[in-house]
Amino acid sequence: MSEIKVEGERYKAKDRVRLDRTDELFKDIAEGEPIMNIEHLRVVYKTDNAETVAVEDFTLQVGKGELISIVGPSGCGKTTILRSIAGLLQPTSGKITIGNKECTSPGSDRGMVFQDFALFPWRTVLKNVEFGMEVAGVPKEERRARALKYIKAVGLEKFADSRIHELSGGMKQRVGIARAMVMHPAVILMDEPFGALDAQTRNIMQEMLVKIVEHSARTIIFVTHSVDEALYLSDRVVVLSKRPSTIYKIVDVPGNRPRDRTDPKFTELRKTILGYLEKQNVME
Amino acid sequence: MGIITVTSLVCFVFAWWDVALVAGSVAIPTPAETWDALVELYNHGDPITGKSIWDYIGSSLSTFFKGFLLALVVAVPLGLIIGYWKPIREFAQPVIEVMRPIAPIAWAPIFILAINYTLGPVLVVFIGIFFPLLTNMIFGVQKIEHNLIDAAKTMGASQLQIFVKVIIPSSIPFLMNGIKIGLGIGWMCIVAAELYAPQLSGIGFYLAEQATAGFWPGAYSAIVIIAVLGIMTTGLAEYIHKFVSKRMGVDA
Repeated sequence: MSEIKVEGERYKAKDRVRLDRTDELFKDIAEGEPIMNIEHLRVVYKTDNAETVAVEDFTLQVGKGELISIVGPSGCGKTTILRSIAGLLQPTSGKITIGNKECTSPGSDRGMVFQDFALFPWRTVLKNVEFGMEVAGVPKEERRARALKYIKAVGLEKFADSRIHELSGGMKQRVGIARAMVMHPAVILMDEPFGALDAQTRNIMQEMLVKIVEHSARTIIFVTHSVDEALYLSDRVVVLSKRPSTIYKIVDVPGNRPRDRTDPKFTELRKTILGYLEKQNVME
Repeated sequence: MGIITVTSLVCFVFAWWDVALVAGSVAIPTPAETWDALVELYNHGDPITGKSIWDYIGSSLSTFFKGFLLALVVAVPLGLIIGYWKPIREFAQPVIEVMRPIAPIAWAPIFILAINYTLGPVLVVFIGIFFPLLTNMIFGVQKIEHNLIDAAKTMGASQLQIFVKVIIPSSIPFLMNGIKIGLGIGWMCIVAAELYAPQLSGIGFYLAEQATAGFWPGAYSAIVIIAVLGIMTTGLAEYIHKFVSKRMGVDA
């Protein structure tokens, strides 16, 4: 457990760190310095008689502590990109590195939050949040304390012993977020995490996420189809082209969080991004 | 029990009574005669073998649970393995499809005569419960939500951890469903198997013995016992199914 073997590289004894605290591996990387590199990512889906190029030449550098949103026309491969980064899907070519470690398979250095929550229904909230630490072999007392800390951070301290089916959609996704954060991953991947929630809950969840991010400077890649959500949350918005998706434009979003949703400068940016998206649809 | 349930059962008893009186055949005793035979068995036991009602019930129950436990021990791991690994599934599926439609009772004469009188009925019950358990397990493992496996992977779980901590728990509601179906079939098997087995034990034996002796109320009282025990086991299975489903976070 104490030694992490990675392809082409083996962390030395001094770099040894528990697998449930992968952020410690990268603590020397300063805020804003690149922590993750995605180079020339290409994903091809093969069926019996056809090949579909889902993602073409996707290159992105993610700074530490940055919150990047990926928006694009529907069905363009946003989720494919995220799943490739998570290691759940083997890209056809290209390279994804965190620090100097290449990511070829899933690992707790990249946490993931799913649109449909993907919580374990037979576990309580607490046990769901503990899962990653449990498989990493964290002692019981410690994982309980750490899990409770994050359950509190997402405002579910009264529901630690509840079962998943007793929770509302918003509460379920709070568990999903706590479960990803508790592992201290280098990067958190969020796949339309608020897509299944109603507009009101969505706003509340966005505000909660902002609060958490401001407290603990997390690096997040956030896939969404809502331009408003992207503008409210992120430092940069990556606009994808239609399939095969590649980066069409990257838009910097100014201003510190928490932001004012009604700020006129966002209206301008919103117009710009929607314009980009419109173009993607017209080209079809 | 609701009023309709009670009415239904009362109507059933009266209909039985009516048929018995109209038919006037010794082969159809009235509910009262059957009840008397049941009380007689309860009070004095079976005069032919000298066994008590509890000997018969105990013997049947013991055969039943042995067969059930055996099925559980074999079907659960096998179902997990077959459901999880596709090549094994492709290998096993044809055999399962050939074996599954065979009525478990068809094995009774073979098992009882080729093996022995005590193990034979156990094996018949085993076969009866085994296939519903196995097919439900295989189905359950395949039905697992793939996102749950993905979530476990992104939290650093190994293949073995995914198997133990995700696939097994998520297949338990399906296992419970298999148990529910299996117990029902198991009860049909046990009595049929005992009919074949001249082992002087079990409700099925008592039924055959009474019918052979021409003591029809005794045979009918055996059927009543079988019905009551059947309802009790399936009721118990239903209760456990609901309880477990709730615990596993699945709506029962």
